[in-house]
Amino acid sequence: MSAPPAPATTAPAPPRPPHPATGSSPATPRRRQRPLRSRLGPYLLLVPALVPLAVGLGYPLVRQFVFSFQEYGLAQQFGRPAEWVGLDNYVTLLSDPYVWGVIARSIAFCLVNAALTMALGIALAVLMTRVGRAARITLQVGMLLAWGTPVLATMTVWQWLFDSQYGVVNWVLAGPLGMEGQRGHSWLIEPLSFYAVATVIVVWMSVPFVVFTVYAGLLQVPEECMEAAQLDGASSWQRLWGLALPMIKPVLFVVALLQVIWDLRVFTQIHVLQRAGAPTRETHLLGTYIYSLSKEFSMAGAMATIMLVITLLLTTAYIRRMLREEES
Amino acid sequence: MTSVVPPPATAVPARAREVPARRRPRRRGTAARRLLDVLAVLTALAWVFPVYWMINSAFLPTNRLRTPEPSFLPFGGTLSNFRRVLTDPSFYEAFKVSLAVTGLTLAAAILFAFVAALAISRFRFRGRKSFIVTVLVVQMIPAEGLFISQYQMLDTWQLVNSVVGLSIVYVAAVLPFTIWMLRGFVSGVPIELEEAAMMDGLSRTGAFFRITFPLLAPGLVASGVYGFLQAWNEYTLALVVMTDPAERTLPLWLQGLVEANRATDWGVVMAGAALITVPVILFFLFVQRRMSSGLVAGAVKG
Amino acid sequence: MKSVRTSGLAAVAVGMLALTACGGGDAAGDDGGGGGGEVRLWLAGSDTPQELRDHLVETFEAQHPDSTLVIEEQDWNGLVPRLQTALTSESQTPDLVEIGNTQSPTFTYAGAFSDISDLYDELGGDDLLQGFVDAGTVDDTLYAVPYYSGARAVFYNKELFAAAGVEVPTTLAEFTEVAQTLQQANPTGAPSFSGFWLPGQDWYNGVAWLNSHGGELAVEEDGEWAGALSTPESQEGLAAVQALFGTATSAPRDADSNEPWIAFNNGEAAMFSAPTWARWSIDLPECNKGVAADDESEAAQALLAEQQACNEEKTGIFALPGMAEGSVAPVFAGGSNIGIPAKSGNQELARDLLRIIFSPEYQTMLAENGLIPGNTEYADALGDDVYAQAALAAAVDAELTPPAEKWADVEGARILEDLFQEIASGTDPATAAAEADELITDTLN
Repeated sequence: MSAPPAPATTAPAPPRPPHPATGSSPATPRRRQRPLRSRLGPYLLLVPALVPLAVGLGYPLVRQFVFSFQEYGLAQQFGRPAEWVGLDNYVTLLSDPYVWGVIARSIAFCLVNAALTMALGIALAVLMTRVGRAARITLQVGMLLAWGTPVLATMTVWQWLFDSQYGVVNWVLAGPLGMEGQRGHSWLIEPLSFYAVATVIVVWMSVPFVVFTVYAGLLQVPEECMEAAQLDGASSWQRLWGLALPMIKPVLFVVALLQVIWDLRVFTQIHVLQRAGAPTRETHLLGTYIYSLSKEFSMAGAMATIMLVITLLLTTAYIRRMLREEES
Repeated sequence: MTSVVPPPATAVPARAREVPARRRPRRRGTAARRLLDVLAVLTALAWVFPVYWMINSAFLPTNRLRTPEPSFLPFGGTLSNFRRVLTDPSFYEAFKVSLAVTGLTLAAAILFAFVAALAISRFRFRGRKSFIVTVLVVQMIPAEGLFISQYQMLDTWQLVNSVVGLSIVYVAAVLPFTIWMLRGFVSGVPIELEEAAMMDGLSRTGAFFRITFPLLAPGLVASGVYGFLQAWNEYTLALVVMTDPAERTLPLWLQGLVEANRATDWGVVMAGAALITVPVILFFLFVQRRMSSGLVAGAVKG
Repeated sequence: MKSVRTSGLAAVAVGMLALTACGGGDAAGDDGGGGGGEVRLWLAGSDTPQELRDHLVETFEAQHPDSTLVIEEQDWNGLVPRLQTALTSESQTPDLVEIGNTQSPTFTYAGAFSDISDLYDELGGDDLLQGFVDAGTVDDTLYAVPYYSGARAVFYNKELFAAAGVEVPTTLAEFTEVAQTLQQANPTGAPSFSGFWLPGQDWYNGVAWLNSHGGELAVEEDGEWAGALSTPESQEGLAAVQALFGTATSAPRDADSNEPWIAFNNGEAAMFSAPTWARWSIDLPECNKGVAADDESEAAQALLAEQQACNEEKTGIFALPGMAEGSVAPVFAGGSNIGIPAKSGNQELARDLLRIIFSPEYQTMLAENGLIPGNTEYADALGDDVYAQAALAAAVDAELTPPAEKWADVEGARILEDLFQEIASGTDPATAAAEADELITDTLN
């Protein structure tokens, strides 16, 4: 709790105009002379975040990793000693062609969904910057409703909408639109159709997050820069592509990365749709597959590690480039 | 009271020099902007349809919810579903618990993330990069199996069935994103702005709070909305941590309305869900005004 | 070794409790070894009526003046993760828990419950529902006993039966014919009318045909479990189910056994099968009195009673008939077990509470409320209305899922849902069953 005032104390003497972002980059002798308090400053600032992270996330993650080399299930929780099995869990999973199928499906689903979400999200965020206050708040509240309504209710409604017998979608298609063949159509029974419905729902739920974040980023672009560019005769389109979006690159980067991460491990929407009546085995993605293993914590742990590796493989190059660009 | 959010046309009309230059694009844009307004409203309506369906259902008796002819409007509807939620004391109990957990989570997460973001984007220090990468990688690990360890840990500290206990795991869940988000925003503020202010004789702290902080307002609002929603709607961890019926959060309360062995009163579930969403909207409308006024302060200073 | 570790943990826990005494909340920490203390009972869902809960509290507290009994209702949805965590904690564990019968083996094998073999005779002995006893037994040691059961019976719309000119069937083959006739007749003219509501993933009901033909889901041999869907008997059963899917139902293939009364209430299904407590969910439009959901006035209660009577007058119920004339099919039984968590510090008090639950008074009360009591000796108290008769008839031969340690994983992986869906989609039963057998065998061992 002592950390918040720290930024105040780390302020260096005003006369010398230091480069704030590179506080320690000036000549080395200077750095050595800086008081201890100032060198500790950034670490002190990290403490409040590190404590809950280590306790609430770090320790459980480490344990999950350790489990993955053991045989650890419900019985072990009740005191039966856990046996070390080395890489057995990994071998079991990775030698199963079905698991590879799940991985491939998940990656495809993730990329399609993340791309759609980002495209729609950025487009709507830009739209928000171009419309009047009333229209903007309408759109914001609409987005917020999609994002903030309890998932239990929205997923139930989506289930009802796509219900074969009493679904509104089939009713509209068969009735007013006259597509008689759609009456009683089963949306969830073919994997492709299942994933299409899942994509609609996942995109619907994740776009608001992108819109809010990107819109916040666009707001942050200093007015002066935009005005200057406008004076230089840049069209609004040029200002957007050439100035605003590059300026909010850090935000876009995080949001895109998070979409990839979240869509790779998407769980709730798939799980609910499966339980609504989809063929389970043919529609598993990584999230639901791990869940189906979840009574064998060791297996789930191994699968989680495998997922981490996949995510890293998908994103490392991207993260590297991003960090390099930012730090230069 | 004018909001300073783009379009720039409405912002800071004080500087006369710019006015002639900006007039033209604005006039040219009026018709186009009308069109965009319409587009935005239509998108909002399309997006909101499932939520509309929920609210529509909340006004209907349950036996009209899934019928061969769907009811698109709640004609002949009823307020009784809402009344039943509002006369249920357990709704208010859960509401209080949820409010406490969300408030605690939000305050801690925003504060901690804010200072952490400050550290990693305004200072260079050993371990900085590892911290950034770790915070990022942590989010890549699926958390489905974590609840066992999280529960055991809270249990050791007697923090099961406790608002504080649940908040600790929520803060941990919300922090990585919030740190990254605010870091993006802090480094998105050009250092030159701060430097210029420091040249004018402001201290670094002063420059930070007078120049950078107001520009962060949108980021704080975005992460605030994110944190609020995460804590407000989280189900799985609350399920295992809050087993005492008196400590239920709203999502647990809502799930409790779903019956396993007899007909669920879906109308009541939908009414409950609609009422749970109200504070989300209020919170947003409240902070989004803060967002504008924060910007005004920044713009005036600039 | 285990006890050393756990007592160490307990010491830590007590120490922490002393430090954080301001925490408030529940008094789970006071695990009084002997006399007084708080005993907590977890009941699943709202199935146990309030009157019965009150009875438990009063009786228990009268017998144990120093102790209090707290009943905490846990949702069925999410019960397993809660048990997975709370039962492992000495300070948080309830002292007695109700658990779904198919979830029971998972926890009994894991060592979550205390040995109550010595109570077997006292609680009812061989009168206890034996299928449920099996689900609570590991290696001849009893860990959980049956709480109540609900067998499935077939509900039918009397007017639609009359309109199609059919009678209540008396054999399983006849049942199929009746369903087909109804489907053909479609007395309400609905575009997707079902003679018998049987959605594609509804193995809970479909398994009755498997059992009737002598088939089984899985069998144990020398300690190894194997899927048994490919046996000739099982195949016959699956073929019969496929015939039903093809000719007697319009229920969607992508739906499961949830809320089977919806189509029935809409007049789009003439029959559906469900546990007998589904009677409270029937809501025919012609009977609906439009009582507001929040109206608790006496007039409203009277109207609701009238509505229920009307629904029950227009709805008939019968136990699914078996292969032979006059026999009853072995339908799937739902219900729950009850056991004492091994980590509970109130073992003796919990055992006393168990004795109260298995007392003649309480067992009779369960039956009077339409639940088949764990001790069948008191099932007569179900009464003699049609629902009780159907429930009782169905319960006699009801079957449970195999009492294998990992059966819950089979359900978690939804192997049988997928199988029945394939059968409904017209896949050859032999092909579908071979695939499912392999998955079941894999999962169970």
